[in-house]
Amino acid sequence: MTASRLNARQILFFLAAVAPAGKLVLLPSLLAAQAKNDLLFPILLQVCVQAALVFAVLLLARRERTVYALLADMVGSICAKALCILFAAFLLFAAFVPLIEQKLLVQSLFYDTLPSYVAFAPFFLFSAYLCAKPLNALGRMWDVLAPLFCIGLFGILLLSAGSADFGALAPAGGAGAGGFLRGSAYSSSWFFDAALLLPLVGKFPYRKGLAWKGMLCYLAGGGALLLFLAVYFGVFSDIAVTQLFAFAHMSKYFSGITAMGRIDYLFIFAVAFVMTFYAAMPIHAAAETVSEAFGRRKPLAALLSLGMNAALFALLFALNFAPSATIAAITERAFWVFPAVGAGAAGLLLLLDGVQALQRRRHAD
Amino acid sequence: MRTKHWLKTLPAKLWIALAALVAFTFFSNDFGLVDIQKTAIILAAGVDRTEEGFELTAQIAVPKGSDRTTGGTSSVEIEGRGATVADCLAAIYAQTGWVPKLVFCDLILLGEEAARSGALDALDFFLRNEYSPDSCLLAVCEGSAGETLKAASAIDDASSLALEKLFSDAAKRSGRVMTATMREFAIGHYGASASGYMPYVRMIAQKGPEEGAGGGQNTAAEEGEEKLFSAEQTALFSAGRMTGILTEEETAAFSLLKGNVYGGALPAGDATLAVLKNSGGVSLQAETLTAKLSIGLKVRIAARAAASSPENVATNRVTQAECLAAEQALEKAVRSLWARCAEAECDLFFLRRTLWRRSPEKYAALKDTPLSEIALSTEISVEGLR
Amino acid sequence: MKYVHADLKASAEAFKRLLPAEDILQFPFSDGAGRKYVCFFADAITDKDLLGEQVLRPLFTYRGETAAKALAAHITAPEVRRSREMKTLAEEVLAGNPVLLWEGMDEGLCVGTKKVPVRAVAEPPTDVAIKGPREGFVEDVKTNTALVRKRLKTGELKIEFLTVGRRSKTSVALCYLEGTSPAGAAEAVREKLSAIEIDCVPDASYLARFLSDRPYSLVKQVGTTEKPDIFCAKLAEGRVGVLTDGSPIALTTPYLLIEDFQSGEDYFVPAARATFTRFLRLFALLIAIYLPAFYIASQLFKLQLLPVKLLLTIAGSIQDVPLSPSLEMLLVLLLLEILNEASIRMPKYVGMALSVVGALVLGETAVSAGFVSTPAIIIIAFSGIGLYAVPNLIEETSVVRLAMLLVAGSIGTYGIVLFSGLILAYLVSTENFGIPLAAPFAPLVGRDLKDALAKFHLMSLKHRPVSLGSPNKRRQK
Repeated sequence: MTASRLNARQILFFLAAVAPAGKLVLLPSLLAAQAKNDLLFPILLQVCVQAALVFAVLLLARRERTVYALLADMVGSICAKALCILFAAFLLFAAFVPLIEQKLLVQSLFYDTLPSYVAFAPFFLFSAYLCAKPLNALGRMWDVLAPLFCIGLFGILLLSAGSADFGALAPAGGAGAGGFLRGSAYSSSWFFDAALLLPLVGKFPYRKGLAWKGMLCYLAGGGALLLFLAVYFGVFSDIAVTQLFAFAHMSKYFSGITAMGRIDYLFIFAVAFVMTFYAAMPIHAAAETVSEAFGRRKPLAALLSLGMNAALFALLFALNFAPSATIAAITERAFWVFPAVGAGAAGLLLLLDGVQALQRRRHAD
Repeated sequence: MRTKHWLKTLPAKLWIALAALVAFTFFSNDFGLVDIQKTAIILAAGVDRTEEGFELTAQIAVPKGSDRTTGGTSSVEIEGRGATVADCLAAIYAQTGWVPKLVFCDLILLGEEAARSGALDALDFFLRNEYSPDSCLLAVCEGSAGETLKAASAIDDASSLALEKLFSDAAKRSGRVMTATMREFAIGHYGASASGYMPYVRMIAQKGPEEGAGGGQNTAAEEGEEKLFSAEQTALFSAGRMTGILTEEETAAFSLLKGNVYGGALPAGDATLAVLKNSGGVSLQAETLTAKLSIGLKVRIAARAAASSPENVATNRVTQAECLAAEQALEKAVRSLWARCAEAECDLFFLRRTLWRRSPEKYAALKDTPLSEIALSTEISVEGLR
Repeated sequence: MKYVHADLKASAEAFKRLLPAEDILQFPFSDGAGRKYVCFFADAITDKDLLGEQVLRPLFTYRGETAAKALAAHITAPEVRRSREMKTLAEEVLAGNPVLLWEGMDEGLCVGTKKVPVRAVAEPPTDVAIKGPREGFVEDVKTNTALVRKRLKTGELKIEFLTVGRRSKTSVALCYLEGTSPAGAAEAVREKLSAIEIDCVPDASYLARFLSDRPYSLVKQVGTTEKPDIFCAKLAEGRVGVLTDGSPIALTTPYLLIEDFQSGEDYFVPAARATFTRFLRLFALLIAIYLPAFYIASQLFKLQLLPVKLLLTIAGSIQDVPLSPSLEMLLVLLLLEILNEASIRMPKYVGMALSVVGALVLGETAVSAGFVSTPAIIIIAFSGIGLYAVPNLIEETSVVRLAMLLVAGSIGTYGIVLFSGLILAYLVSTENFGIPLAAPFAPLVGRDLKDALAKFHLMSLKHRPVSLGSPNKRRQK
């Protein structure tokens, strides 16, 4: 099985308009709890850090070699395989927050009464199917999802902006340094987009300036996220902390809703649809990482996809009664894993690649 | 070879298994499913304080069956009692077998006692319930919320629908009612000002037709006595408790200060003016050195005469004297409004919040200043449309 | 005997053994010099007048040489072929072309005087146009190629004939514009057609399955049209076309899903109108698929999908219905499908009566009897009408609609979202002849969006669709 390839444009679409979709469910209320009206500053920091990491990862892609190939050259194939497995484990760990968010969102958005656990289980079937799909299909999905997300988010913001009191964001610095630091630290669990790109390195053509474009696209997506958070806090201000699925609620105050019913659901479902794909992204990335390291064979990809999804389903089922504790454990205690692995992997790979390039040049001289 | 064939046909087998699973769940679907027939669609909820806790009166919409000739919405009121609002809902479920659903609950009515003893105790459940919309309207009613909801309305089948008409945008523009949603009230309460307001509803008795109209199932309707509702007064809240009530004039002044009014009436001595344009504003000056706060309330109105004299019929111009009389009346109402707020210790204009947003330091220094010690200046201007 | 023998009697007997059917007739006669001949022809598909006029009459008086070349020159038929192989000659007879064998010659002559019963060129019932050409393909491949050639008078139009089907020997015409269709596209189609090992090809839809990369797929992967103007327009965009003898349906490949949202008429009306109708078709299709599903989900799982007054109306209508909302909807949908199937298959006048029975008697009575509710009938009627806005996708969408209904009744709103995601993932990963089915949306091809759902003015459509990879990129200066 030969590796299918992505298009550079599709990477940009992902960074600008798919990656922000994963940050609209629980992150806003967590930020409102920790950083209060200063919630924009931690996100600004996170977006800037991730944009720099995205730049680094895309720079790594200019050799058009996969991460496994780069690692195998540097440390040998056995070590490379081990590192790939570790990285896949990190991605599966990172998948927890989007998955729990997805589960809670399903209960809140798609049902009027608390549904049984069976209602969420089909997600793993969907995810298993998605994870077994080749990369070019993933890229094409982004081609559809990115405009859909833009339309959905634009619609939600348009309907909500009228109810927002942007004065609620004042005074800047009101939450103090502690709020800013806690907000920055606890929001780390949502920012691993550069790490999601690593398994894709070498699987799309690098064009001149792609790293810059990627960074700018990520910043644009981050800008949209900041705008969303500003409107969110403007709408809910002092009760923002209680709004767990704000994106599904904030547009209902629009006066037209009274006459026409919940027309905002069109936009909300569009965003939720994109979120469903985003929730499966870390699992897809993990399956891609392992299948790259162990040879690309179709049955292996399918089995990996099935296995990983089954394992996550079992784990999530086991944690069914403790979603809040799980979220708290990941976001408040294990938050350091995300910047450490994300920045560490990208930085280390870039460094080793640079050293190798230097050695090659010396050898040639 | 056999393994290869098995792997090749695996996707097809998986699809068939999936289809069978979907068909099975479709035909045996009862995973805690609450369909529309098992659901009590709550249109409005009334919350009253009782000795043991709360009494929740849910106005539940009842489908009219296939006979659609009568029109309107039938409703039935069910009561539940318990220590908390959640207990009350559970009691309703236990009594009727209907699962109460709050997704369409557009009005929460608080009994006066419940409002005075702490509105948030009653509202907290609705605020935190994921399936209860915080866009629903809030109101306090004279006496019991349950009785008000059960009353037969002269203008609609369900009392809650009649009440919602009072809180429409058109009613708001008349300047005679100030509405509040759950979100707005909660933001006011949990913010630095810890204050808020809701319309205060009173029932006005009106003798209706002998058999009652609209086919509602209310007991009062059977008695033939129908009610009208008035919400021209506004309840003031401080720290979650109802601490005062604005009169009709004060409510109108509050409306004008908010700049909400288009087409409302404005008394000007013996005459009445029709408001054509209205803007209002609140300004706050904080002097840290002297620890003094002062507030400026500003209303600007463009009006025309509501009833014209024969010689003035084409223009409906207002006279200078009428403007002056209107300004004086409004000035009086605004000052009375401020006094009422100070008396109720209700930061109706969210001055503390403004102070916090402007400067946390000034807020820390001045937040405990009683409202009665804040100097008031007003700027009222009524003029004819030029 | 594999080859024609100089002994006429032996050859004729062998030939008769090869074609023992009763409708294969043999006509023995002698020429002016008394030499013996036997003419074999298939009854009903041979033009006997032409045979008599062009072949037999000249031979009755012929006294010249009996060499095949001389004989071929003497008879007045324009299409004459020679062959020694019995099998080839037998195939010609079966195709309607008479074969002539004569004494002393080990070769046979085959004369092109076939007369196949052909339906007149008429407007296809599935693709009616108010504006634009009304001609439609017929069941005769020759007539169809003529209709194509009439519209593309260029030497670049290549029409290659292939024979597919071991027993049906169906004539298949492979059409493409040389230099416009992508390099290797025609070869790839030819290769797939040549590889087909099947007894009989009664219709083009058989070939469509063999031309698909995913033959088991629910989604079709080969375009179909019954109109020569659309067929030619597709060839001019760089596609390869396949005309099948015996079928009025022409196949085109590669196929893009968006093709079925476009109609020939879109190009004859103002661009704004065409754009509006295309979006309308998409909307109708979405309504057809999603309306029954969301109707169920709104009653079972998520009441808020409907305004409260509408919800109460529905609740009132269904309160006496004994079935659950999902079963009720399934029942009504199945009823619609049965009525649909029966009215298509039944004779026209009975079909009309059936519609009356279906619409009035069954629908009205079922509602009055309380078996089903009025909203359910309305929803399914909307859905049924919506499906026909995109007639070329009816087979696919009706299955998707049923699946969506089952998913909505099982898992609810979330099921609808997940199933939609599944459909998206499936569609974007489907390719045929290397061209993605969902192009130009996935992958996004900006330039092709000018004639996808939105339709730009004809003057601005200067380039052929990039998605199809035509080497000849510009179609208009």
